[in-house]
Amino acid sequence: MNWLYDSVEPRVMDEDMLKLAVGEQGPRDEAGQLARQEGIVFKDVLSLRLDFQNILRIDSLWQFENLRKLQLDNNIIEKIEGLERLVHLVWLDLSFNNIEAIEGLDTLVNLEDLSLFNNRISKIDSLDALVKLQVLSLGNNEISHMMNIIYLRRFKDLRTLSLSGNPIAEEEDYKMFICAYLPDLVYLDFRRIDDHMKELAEIKHQYGIDELKQRENLSQAQLDDERAQREELEEHKAAFVERLNGSFLFDSMYAEDVEGNKLAHLPGVSELLQAYKDKFVIICLNIFEYGLKQQEMRKVELDTFNECVQEAIQENREQGKRRIAKFEEAHLLSLNAIRDESEVTNLEMKVAEHSKDITELFDMLMTLEMQLVEQLEETINTFERNIMDLVALFIENVQSLMAQCRDLENHHHEKLLEISINTLEKILKGELDENLPYDVRAVSTLFVDKDTIVNAVGTSHDLHLLKIDNREDELVTRTNSWCSHLVDAIHKDEIMRNRRRVKEIHQYVDHVQNELDNLECSEIID
Amino acid sequence: MEVLKEKVEEEEEAEREEAAVRAERGEKVVRPMEVRREEAPMTQEMLRDLERKLSDTEMAIPEKLSTFTKDTIAISKLPLSYQSNTLKEEHLLQVADSFSRQYSHLCPDRVPLFLHPLNECEVPKFVSTTIRPTLMPYPELYNWDSCAQFVSDFLSMVPLPDPLKPPSHLYSPTTVLKYQEGNCFDFSTLLCSMLLGAGYDAYCVNGYGSQDMCQMDLTRDVCPLTVKHQEVVQEEEKVPPKKYAVKPPRDLTSRFQQEQETKKQEEIKAEEERRLREEEERLLDVEKAKTDPLHGLRVHSWVLVLSGKREVPESFFIDPFTAHSYSTQDDHFLGIESLWNHKNYWVNMQDCWNCCKDLVFDLGDPVRWEYLLLGTEKSHLSLTEEEEDGLNDDDDVENLGKEDEDKSFDMPPSWVEQIEISPEAFETRCPNGKKVIQYKRAKLEKWAPYLNSNGLVCRLTTYEDLECTKTLEIKEWFQNREDMLELKHIDKSTGLNVDYFKPGHPQALRVHSYKSMQPETDRIMEFYDRARVDGLVKREETSKTMTEYYRGRSDFLFYRHVSFGDRVKKLSLNSAESNPRPIVKITERFARNPEQPADEDVAERVFLISEERIQLRYHCRDDHITASKREFLRRSEVDNKGNKIVMTPDMCISFEVEPMEHTKKLLCQYEAMMKLKNEEKLSRHQAWESELEVLEILKLREEEEEEHRLTISIYDTKRNEKSKEYREAMERVMHEEHLRQVEAPLDYLAPFLAQLPPSEKMTRWQAMRVKDECLSDFKQRLIDKANLIQARFEKETQELQKKQQWYQENQVTLTVEDEDLYLSYCSQAMFRIRILEQRLNRHKELAPLKYLALEEKLYKDPRLVEFMKVFV
Repeated sequence: MNWLYDSVEPRVMDEDMLKLAVGEQGPRDEAGQLARQEGIVFKDVLSLRLDFQNILRIDSLWQFENLRKLQLDNNIIEKIEGLERLVHLVWLDLSFNNIEAIEGLDTLVNLEDLSLFNNRISKIDSLDALVKLQVLSLGNNEISHMMNIIYLRRFKDLRTLSLSGNPIAEEEDYKMFICAYLPDLVYLDFRRIDDHMKELAEIKHQYGIDELKQRENLSQAQLDDERAQREELEEHKAAFVERLNGSFLFDSMYAEDVEGNKLAHLPGVSELLQAYKDKFVIICLNIFEYGLKQQEMRKVELDTFNECVQEAIQENREQGKRRIAKFEEAHLLSLNAIRDESEVTNLEMKVAEHSKDITELFDMLMTLEMQLVEQLEETINTFERNIMDLVALFIENVQSLMAQCRDLENHHHEKLLEISINTLEKILKGELDENLPYDVRAVSTLFVDKDTIVNAVGTSHDLHLLKIDNREDELVTRTNSWCSHLVDAIHKDEIMRNRRRVKEIHQYVDHVQNELDNLECSEIID
Repeated sequence: MEVLKEKVEEEEEAEREEAAVRAERGEKVVRPMEVRREEAPMTQEMLRDLERKLSDTEMAIPEKLSTFTKDTIAISKLPLSYQSNTLKEEHLLQVADSFSRQYSHLCPDRVPLFLHPLNECEVPKFVSTTIRPTLMPYPELYNWDSCAQFVSDFLSMVPLPDPLKPPSHLYSPTTVLKYQEGNCFDFSTLLCSMLLGAGYDAYCVNGYGSQDMCQMDLTRDVCPLTVKHQEVVQEEEKVPPKKYAVKPPRDLTSRFQQEQETKKQEEIKAEEERRLREEEERLLDVEKAKTDPLHGLRVHSWVLVLSGKREVPESFFIDPFTAHSYSTQDDHFLGIESLWNHKNYWVNMQDCWNCCKDLVFDLGDPVRWEYLLLGTEKSHLSLTEEEEDGLNDDDDVENLGKEDEDKSFDMPPSWVEQIEISPEAFETRCPNGKKVIQYKRAKLEKWAPYLNSNGLVCRLTTYEDLECTKTLEIKEWFQNREDMLELKHIDKSTGLNVDYFKPGHPQALRVHSYKSMQPETDRIMEFYDRARVDGLVKREETSKTMTEYYRGRSDFLFYRHVSFGDRVKKLSLNSAESNPRPIVKITERFARNPEQPADEDVAERVFLISEERIQLRYHCRDDHITASKREFLRRSEVDNKGNKIVMTPDMCISFEVEPMEHTKKLLCQYEAMMKLKNEEKLSRHQAWESELEVLEILKLREEEEEEHRLTISIYDTKRNEKSKEYREAMERVMHEEHLRQVEAPLDYLAPFLAQLPPSEKMTRWQAMRVKDECLSDFKQRLIDKANLIQARFEKETQELQKKQQWYQENQVTLTVEDEDLYLSYCSQAMFRIRILEQRLNRHKELAPLKYLALEEKLYKDPRLVEFMKVFV
């Protein structure tokens, strides 16, 4: 290995080398001849072998987009790189190189077989993306720590592993450890693991495995929980009422409200606040439930619409297919007839007749398409109207509920103001000084004069209203934008569909016409 | 004046039909409408007059065909209960007599009751006691329909001696079963016994039936097997139009024209219908039987099953002859005189002017039904019946016992022996295992399984005309066939044969319809596709084509059509086998393979072999209406100059829905073509193999038809020869083993006879020699034995002497243990010596005797005896 590195000049992976390799490994015989005639495009190559080429650096492989199998063994590569574009790669052989770390494999999600035999790797990692990995060869490396094995537990499909020739393979517990921690493994170091061995290993490392499993399960459960929560939130977001199923809005109102928090310590305010919160939360819950219900309704509406549109399109498509099938039969017959016809006048007549048929088919298909377009347009308009109405109703109702929130806030504000002024008066009169709790004393800076306290209460009130308004605005804008997006998308889809179909019809008719023309030409030439 | 007019009428009537006379005389309540109008007073003279006339005209009574008359029944072998009456029965008969007297006093215009006919031993027995409720041990006989079918199959019908009177004799069900013959009363008694045993609320009915029913004439009935199941057309639920369903395109045709058109259509249809109806009526007229002169007078007996028990939802009649069930309103039943079960006897007091349609079967109503015995169940009005029923079911016996005390009398137990049907008889079913029923335009023949060697169990022949001369079609049902043939359907009008198979045919055949067994003719074979590796469902053949349908294949092929050309005549001699028809065209269709994109998934592949072209049609994409196509001109690889032809762009014409880069390439096309070439070869091979398979199946079918072997269940211990043989062999082996253990005979001459030259008759000299040799050998053996014993004896003695010597020499130095050892040895040796001595003596005594015995034996040996005799 190393003497190569020392003595031989490393080569560069350039176009010529690749072409040569492709040419050599490409099709043979007649096919090869054809291939040479046309030239091979790198994109079409499925497998490539580049061994014993003294390659130092992987390069210029970005064109091989569809490559399934790549062999780069017995080179002097030091770093895995330049493989990012080869996402279809299933088999990668990098054995007998000078690689020191596993890297640059994050895009190769389809990789099933990876060979890194005889390199200088000391740690197994950066393989997270390789979820389909089945065969991993890491023999003759410098892996020295057993804990690397545990990393391999995440590959559920891993069946074959080779680690011989590593420092860890020298350890007496090596085999048992691997068998215990990778129970799905079938072959280790090119040998089948027998069941007896597995059992022994399992018994030996039972405690360790149990503990590990427990940890894994816990983290898995946590992940699941998080995902469920995220999904729920997404769902609520889709209904535009996220976080309204609790006191989140209310809490956020008081989160930045310094004065409000201070005022809450006034006597009687806490009870007031509690009552206010309860009422507020109830309204929020109402909004939330209403939102979910509305979302359900919108979904049903949308589903019905999609279903109907799909049905209409399908039916139209069936009709079109039937027409084409019918035409094709006639087409074949008349082509044969034309082919067999020798009389020139008859020939011309038949050709003319057939072209008429083709035009007719074209007209028919286009009529069908136009009909569908009209039908769909009408339906889409109806749907648009309905969904707009639904959204408008939703917004209206939410707004009225929000208005209730505001009323509550106003009411609360009045009460608070009253209490504050009362308290201020009492303070000014010096009646309550002794009885005031310590907290109020802390906020006593507010109770200087009437303006201050009114201002403070007013600020708090304004802040609250602002929060409510913001939430409402957000909801309304998002709902509206969703609606307009949806309608736009539907229109766009319909237009695209129409374009595609028209193009298809044109293409087909052109093809048929071409066939006829070709026949005619050949006839005339004959 | 009125009376006079009636008289005139009467006379005319009398001259025409004796039946009418009977009707007048009989004056029954039970009487259908037709005879009802003759209800008028009559003078004695007239009656006498009529009677005279009657005696002149002979009644056309069908002769009793019965072969089992009293004489043939071995009366003496019957149990005692058959030959005499118990006290209780006597009492019952008295009760019945008094009932009958009262009845005839109260209803003088009704026929006498059918109460106690004579049994086979000429002993009067009450009808209820003739019923013996029995539950059969066969699970098949648990339900009424199978029971009735069994009775109708098992017995052959004998008409009543007098169709207008109940019979004078009523035999026990056991006798009826034994002789497999009976009239309607025998039938219904047997059936009623079985149904009561199975828990049904069944009654024997004595009444009046239509002619067809009484004579078991089914020629006007449509055979139930020919009735096609009416396809229940499921009303398709009308889906309410969805909210966003697209509006249909505007209809621009003229509504007026449409209306006119529909009107015209309707007129034509009406015309057609009228014509059809007329035709039908005409046909019906032809088929309708001439009216029966004895209508309403023919006595019949059948079974009534009342609702309630065994979850019977509604009361119904069973005709025991045909095993058909009828509603109680059916036209065939013209009146009921009385009915009975094993517990009681009821007389119908309701008017039967409208057949049985108005009868109420509430036996607890004493106004409608006059009961004979008080105090059995049903003696309550139906108001309380339901609760009573439940109770009575459970504790019949108890109830009966109780009622005995306070009420007058209860039914004595049946005098009939336990009804038994042997498994053989049950399987054979019909008398002699064969039964023929004539239906309207159809004939049904039934056989017991294994009776016919080809497994035929049922044959239905359908005729075109009423006289049953022109055969329309034949259906034959088979059972236990080794080739799993189940039904053979021969349509005579088209000449089409259809064979249906059960799963398990060696070639997984399901249906085979053909006109001739010749290959390369029209035929359709259907297969159990699950049982076949290639998933073939159906193969249709005509003389020029073969179409195959597949299901569930991994390559998604579901259709293959092969067209053949004319056979090329070959000059070679053995052309018959190795000259397959040339294939002109193979069309293969594939279902969508969801793993491939539609543009690359072939939907149809046509190999035009004679034109050397291959056409491909791909699947249509989900949102497209056109599909990609490709056509390869597959010219031979080498042109006429011997140069290799290189692929050129004009060898492949393709239309692509969405043109793609790589498919344009010659290389790609070349590869595709190479692949197709291989596949063409495979398809041709497949077609050829299919042809071979057809030949093979035809051959197999012919063989099977010829052999028609039957399978026998391994559980059928009686018929399964193999298992029987095996069992017998096992038994034999066991027996032999046993014998061998008892005594192992030794041939003392065998070694000497073996020395003789084989298969030659022994000469006298040889026989002598054999004898001498045998004797001398035996003598030698005896001497040897004596010597042996002697030698052992001497050896033991010597050893003992040596030991003794040794002991005496060393006696002083010996330890106690050694001495003990020596002593024990001495005693053992002495014992052995004694035994040997005894044996020697006995041998000496016995040896001469043994020798003499052998000599004696040899003299008497069958192999040597003749020579010895001469010698002696």
